[in-house]
Amino acid sequence: MADEQNWVPQSVDVSVPSAARLYDYMLGGAHNFAVDRLMGDKMEAAMPHARSAARVNRAFLGRAVRFMVAQGVRQFLDIGSGIPTVANVHEVAQAEAPDCRVVYVDRDPVAVAHSELILAGNDSVRVLQADLRDPDSILNSPQAHLLDFDQPIGLLMLLMLHWVPTEDDPWGLLKHYREALPSGSYLAITHFADDHDYEGVKVAAERMNKAGGDQVVERSRDEIAAFFGEFELAEPGLVTFAEWRPSGPGDISSDPAINRLAYAGVGRKP
Amino acid sequence: MPEPSRIPDVTPSPEDIVRARKMLARKWAYLLQSAVAIPMSLDGLGEALSTRLDEICALLHAEPFTGDPAEQIGAGLAKLGYLGPIGLRRTTDVLGRGLFALPEFGQVERYAQRIALVIGALGSGFTEATSESVLTQQESMQKSLLKAVRDANWNLKESEARFNEVVTSSTNGVLIVDLEGRLLTTNAAVGDILGHTQEELVGVPLLDLIAPGFADMLSDAMADLVSGAAERIRQSQRMLRKDGEAARLSLTMSLLRGADDERSHFVVVVEDGTELELLQSELKRQSLHDVLTGLPNRQFFTTHLETVLRKADPEFGVTVFHLDLDAFGMVSNSVGGRVAERLLQHVAQRLRVVMAAEKAMIAKFDGDEFGVLVENTAATPTIGEIMKSINDDLLLEPTYVDGHGLAVSVSAGVVHRPSVEAEPVDVLRAADTALRRAKVRRRGQWEVFHPAQDVLDRRDHAVAVAMPAAWENGEITVRYRPIVQLANGEVSGVEAALHWDRPDAEVLDHDECAELAESTGLILPLGEWLLRVGAGQSAWWRQRGQFDRSLVVRLTAHQATDADLVSRVVGVLDETGLTVEQLAVSMPASVLLVTDAADNLGTLADMGVHMGLDDFGLGPLDPAAVSDLPVRSVRVARSLVDRRSPYVTALLPLLSGSGVTVAVDGIRSAEQASWWLAAGADFATGEHFGAAGTPTEFLKRLEKR
Repeated sequence: MADEQNWVPQSVDVSVPSAARLYDYMLGGAHNFAVDRLMGDKMEAAMPHARSAARVNRAFLGRAVRFMVAQGVRQFLDIGSGIPTVANVHEVAQAEAPDCRVVYVDRDPVAVAHSELILAGNDSVRVLQADLRDPDSILNSPQAHLLDFDQPIGLLMLLMLHWVPTEDDPWGLLKHYREALPSGSYLAITHFADDHDYEGVKVAAERMNKAGGDQVVERSRDEIAAFFGEFELAEPGLVTFAEWRPSGPGDISSDPAINRLAYAGVGRKP
Repeated sequence: MPEPSRIPDVTPSPEDIVRARKMLARKWAYLLQSAVAIPMSLDGLGEALSTRLDEICALLHAEPFTGDPAEQIGAGLAKLGYLGPIGLRRTTDVLGRGLFALPEFGQVERYAQRIALVIGALGSGFTEATSESVLTQQESMQKSLLKAVRDANWNLKESEARFNEVVTSSTNGVLIVDLEGRLLTTNAAVGDILGHTQEELVGVPLLDLIAPGFADMLSDAMADLVSGAAERIRQSQRMLRKDGEAARLSLTMSLLRGADDERSHFVVVVEDGTELELLQSELKRQSLHDVLTGLPNRQFFTTHLETVLRKADPEFGVTVFHLDLDAFGMVSNSVGGRVAERLLQHVAQRLRVVMAAEKAMIAKFDGDEFGVLVENTAATPTIGEIMKSINDDLLLEPTYVDGHGLAVSVSAGVVHRPSVEAEPVDVLRAADTALRRAKVRRRGQWEVFHPAQDVLDRRDHAVAVAMPAAWENGEITVRYRPIVQLANGEVSGVEAALHWDRPDAEVLDHDECAELAESTGLILPLGEWLLRVGAGQSAWWRQRGQFDRSLVVRLTAHQATDADLVSRVVGVLDETGLTVEQLAVSMPASVLLVTDAADNLGTLADMGVHMGLDDFGLGPLDPAAVSDLPVRSVRVARSLVDRRSPYVTALLPLLSGSGVTVAVDGIRSAEQASWWLAAGADFATGEHFGAAGTPTEFLKRLEKR
């Protein structure tokens, strides 16, 4: 205890790529470090349209949030929010209904610190550094008090759950989250599929996993469907992320294999 | 077709100019959105670009001409989102070609140079703004990194300070031990207990302070902590004082992990246990324990539950299991009381083994019932896993008493994470309620207590218990309703349904009767009776040439998994003379995950019975079940019929493609019927086609058609 060490906590290690910063890079942002860009370039070499996957997911976020706002949801909990750059939840939601409140959660301390800097002064947005695998630390956090748990909440876990290894029982965790939400709440998920036909992804996932940072687990459609539990899936159900109510060219990729990379769904708590 | 803009001496109309610009802006928006992330809808982006296009056109027309203001337009574009080099490329492509094609710039030669200059300026403004934005983003990332490191270090200092405070002020002894087992730090209380000064203890191996004969127990526990097999251990220990005396102590030990989750130190908390305390606890033990098994009794369990409820880790809470041995009465009657007692001892011992890894109290309640109270941690298995390991253990490790190999299963009522304010008595009552519900099902089942269910249960319970007598008295009868072919309105079958005409209370229809009977287990005899009466009626109609279409009987989950289902059906067919081809039986789709149900379905289908699935469409695996099993028809879940679920309608062509017919229930209007016909459904039932009636009513309605 008495041994004083001058250390930088491992959680702030910028020598391994982080999912949040990599995603920003793939979207075209510059909120990232050299190691993230190197990984992004490697992924792109393995999967030529990797960047459009990030864009398609971001576009799904927009549609899911607008859909929830249209159903009357005015508060959002975005777990695995990453770096709040273009077209983030509060931007989309508050453009639709200015009274929307958003709590962003990410475990990457750099992403969180960054979010705090960007969002300072926005009273209807809070940021929390926490791990999805510790639901109570999120649900009972002071930040979560921004949300009224008696009113419907939109819970978002986009390109997030494939970072949770199966031994951590993501289904049990999701059950915990679903139980905490009031009736009428919504859950949106996108998750890498295990039945896409894009060989490049396997290579890219292996490279990512080898780099020692966050690890990727692909899952089957049934496994992903089970995350929704008793929630009733909104039409058109659990489909690929490009097929979920697409409304324009920004919602799909010109490469059909990319469109099948991930499953997406929005469920409503009965 | 020649483009009008290329025809000289034709001055384009103002409308043409506006329309052409709109189209170009829209094309520009489309190309950008399909390549880069922009937080705008296609229409919104189209409008934003339209404004910019107007500005560009104004520049091109202006006299004298200068391209410089296009730099501003380019910088503005860069701020729309993450456009980057790809966005710029698409912009110059679309403008380079599109501007030339605009009718207002029809005289190409005059505008060519201007267009090139404007696009150049736009590109340079765009590039400059983009690199500026990259620098800003990078700078903010550096700031974020600094902030993250500072926050983390601050949190660390704060938590160290808190920890020190707790340790220093504690009246319990606290030892910090390194991974090699040597003492690093102790607090003053340790000195008081052991008689050593704090300085004397630094560097001493912990095991050297343990009395002979007790060290192995502690070092085993430390190994468990290191391997992760245990989170925290608590032992009665003997530690050596400076004067050589052994002090009786209770010792709690856990492994501290650093921020990077690396094992860092052991923390040991030492509580001084006096002789008096130990004596008291022994007395308490005797009055609070079950004599046969040595386990805590119900009274002790209740007191303990009260304490634990209040101080359990709020993050994980506690779970209470109320266990009951299946078929214990049978064991007791057939092999005698002594063997039964031995069996209870065996179960007690196995429960201890199975629950050893958990912080759990196992108690013996009355008769063949046990209680288990688990203080959950992050590592606690799920309820299902715990029940499975208990039942696997008991079934796979039979005990032998006087030559009898006894393997039993247990059922359980479970209360998971009751509120900290809950009264122990209420928690135990809830567990008991859930247990009774679990016992209704098959052996080795468990059921978690749900408060809402409880209220319903108590009301339904009164109705359900009155049901056998009502059946006996003839209040429950069989009714018949038509199954209609949607395409031509013909009655293609008849469904037998339960009907309970209660004196002084509302009539209960088939679904309500079936659900109540399902909850008490009465459904097995009652359902067989329904089948027999229905089959008899159907055979009678046939003989008299009144109605010769199929008889349909719906089964509940309990019936579908019943091991005797096939023999019941065969018996009824023999008795009534109905042939297999004339019978259709359906099961809830959700029950097919149970092997018994799938087996029953397969056997009946092999015999030639038409097999159907009810409540189709609610489970994600339903379509798969239809293709994997010999199912010939499905009935869409009523909620999906009401909602006109597109999910289901999308599945209908697949079903009919594989020869499976589709029925919809709960049809209330002609409009609803024709909608479902159009969607591809084959058959229907519901108010619109006639409610369930007596045999006479059924025939009368048939004649009217």
